[in-house]
Amino acid sequence: MRNRLKEEIVISGVGCSRFGDLLETPGLKGLSLQEVTANAVREALDDAGLSGQDLDAVYVGNAMVHSSQLPGTYSQLSKWIGAELKSGVHFDAQCSTTNVGAALAAMSIASGVYDTVLVVGFETTRTKVKGFSPYEREALQHKETWLWTDMAVNQAYGVPQGYDIFSTYNGLVALGYCRKYGLSIEDYDKGMFELCRTRRLHGSMNPKANIQQTMEDKASELGFSSSYEMWQSDEVNPFVAWPSRLMSLVTIADGASAMVLTRADIARANKSQPVQLKGFGISYRDLPWYDEDPTLWDFDRRSATQAMEMADIKATDINYLHTHDCSHISGICTAEMIGYLPSGKGLAAARDGELRYDGKRPMSTHGGRHAFGHAWAASAGSDTYEAVLQMRGMAGKRQIPKRPEISVIHTHGYAMIGTTIVLGGV
Amino acid sequence: MDTTVTSTSQSAIELYYKGLEEGKLKARRCKDCGEHTFPPTGCCAHCGGWSLDWVDLSGKGTLLFATHNISPACHPRFEPIAPYVYGHICLDEGIIVQAIVQGVKATPEDLNQLFQRGQTPVEADILRMDDLPVLAFRIIR
Repeated sequence: MRNRLKEEIVISGVGCSRFGDLLETPGLKGLSLQEVTANAVREALDDAGLSGQDLDAVYVGNAMVHSSQLPGTYSQLSKWIGAELKSGVHFDAQCSTTNVGAALAAMSIASGVYDTVLVVGFETTRTKVKGFSPYEREALQHKETWLWTDMAVNQAYGVPQGYDIFSTYNGLVALGYCRKYGLSIEDYDKGMFELCRTRRLHGSMNPKANIQQTMEDKASELGFSSSYEMWQSDEVNPFVAWPSRLMSLVTIADGASAMVLTRADIARANKSQPVQLKGFGISYRDLPWYDEDPTLWDFDRRSATQAMEMADIKATDINYLHTHDCSHISGICTAEMIGYLPSGKGLAAARDGELRYDGKRPMSTHGGRHAFGHAWAASAGSDTYEAVLQMRGMAGKRQIPKRPEISVIHTHGYAMIGTTIVLGGV
Repeated sequence: MDTTVTSTSQSAIELYYKGLEEGKLKARRCKDCGEHTFPPTGCCAHCGGWSLDWVDLSGKGTLLFATHNISPACHPRFEPIAPYVYGHICLDEGIIVQAIVQGVKATPEDLNQLFQRGQTPVEADILRMDDLPVLAFRIIR
């Protein structure tokens, strides 16, 4: 594998909806999935100074077709985004979809076939089509969401024999981390609290986040004397996979994201501030995702190594990092593996405020999967959206004081495809 | 290029679950590299070879870590037993598996006790759900 792009590729436009619930969240409520997606596309196209007719190809991803009921999205969305008669494909890499799409787009452009490609991801994990209605939706039951989502996981042996995401992704990894670094369960729990507090702080400063309430405000609303008292409440924050609690996990959401990729020389003539896609790496594995050590995921190491080698960067070059934090402890393990945080010190870094937008090692400033929320195929695009805003200095109240020059975004697509992209050089 | 159509018509998946019904852990062993593929497929997970033997595993191993899951379970099959304990296990053959662990309560207290105890010997103890036998383990006291 030569692992290099033959041409300089940039992201010239990004767009993202608010993440939430199509039945109740302001900004989403009342809209169809087609319109929510088209709005994210419109933002990305406007940002790039283009229309749908300027595109050569459209790569659209959606993981859970059971709730969206929109397969063949290239044609079903084409009139909503003004991109009929273009090349297109419906694809998925589950929760890595949009960033895998960015990699596919970069390869399409660097090969010399296309000049400009739109990548789109959308998902509904909170709502589904009501009956046969073309516009009405209804709430999706928790069990349905996971039954359908887990169809991306080993259906021969894993899921039929009791696999679930909470045990494998959270509890076992947490215990491996505590054992490896001699961390007590109590200190682990406090570290998880601090990490969640940081994520919710970021969410409170992001008008597109699903949860915009800090831990402190939530605790006060519920009558707790402190946010840590609320954290330890079995009623509000039960163990879902001991020793991992509910608030260390993903918050499901409906949402959409989009990005425009093009050749750097073309983007320079446009109005937007392009960000270079300097590198990417993709590696997958079936269950079990790790060997004896639950903190060491080899496919993640491979994806990060490929991306950083393609981009010719070292860990010390990274100014902003997002790691997939469907499971907060897994996200910390990935950040330590990449070298952004010292091994075994990730929770201490959270406790010391280093992971905040204004800390030494800022991470997931949009709020991450817990506060920003998780709309499977749209989420990687939301991470890239946030990194581009940070690099342009457009992240508002949560802006990292010194604009990041190099950003790395890592995502997990169920189950599992580790995807890492490196952005740089505005 | 081999263009013949094989006469075998039984799925490796079906053979595995039929094996569990008889208390056997059916695996494949690669004729080229000697490594096990478990649960079984038609291809060696290690070297990509297609020449495989069927073998039975010992069913003995070491429980490395154990956590629990949510209730109601993510899959309807396991609603009657949720929340249950789920373990990270290294079989004596060196194969890592994750499976339900029986005989331990899914409470923070019991799981903490197990964690403090450290690595623990286990053996396969097939769990018979309504529609499917399921690989599970039990701690050897």
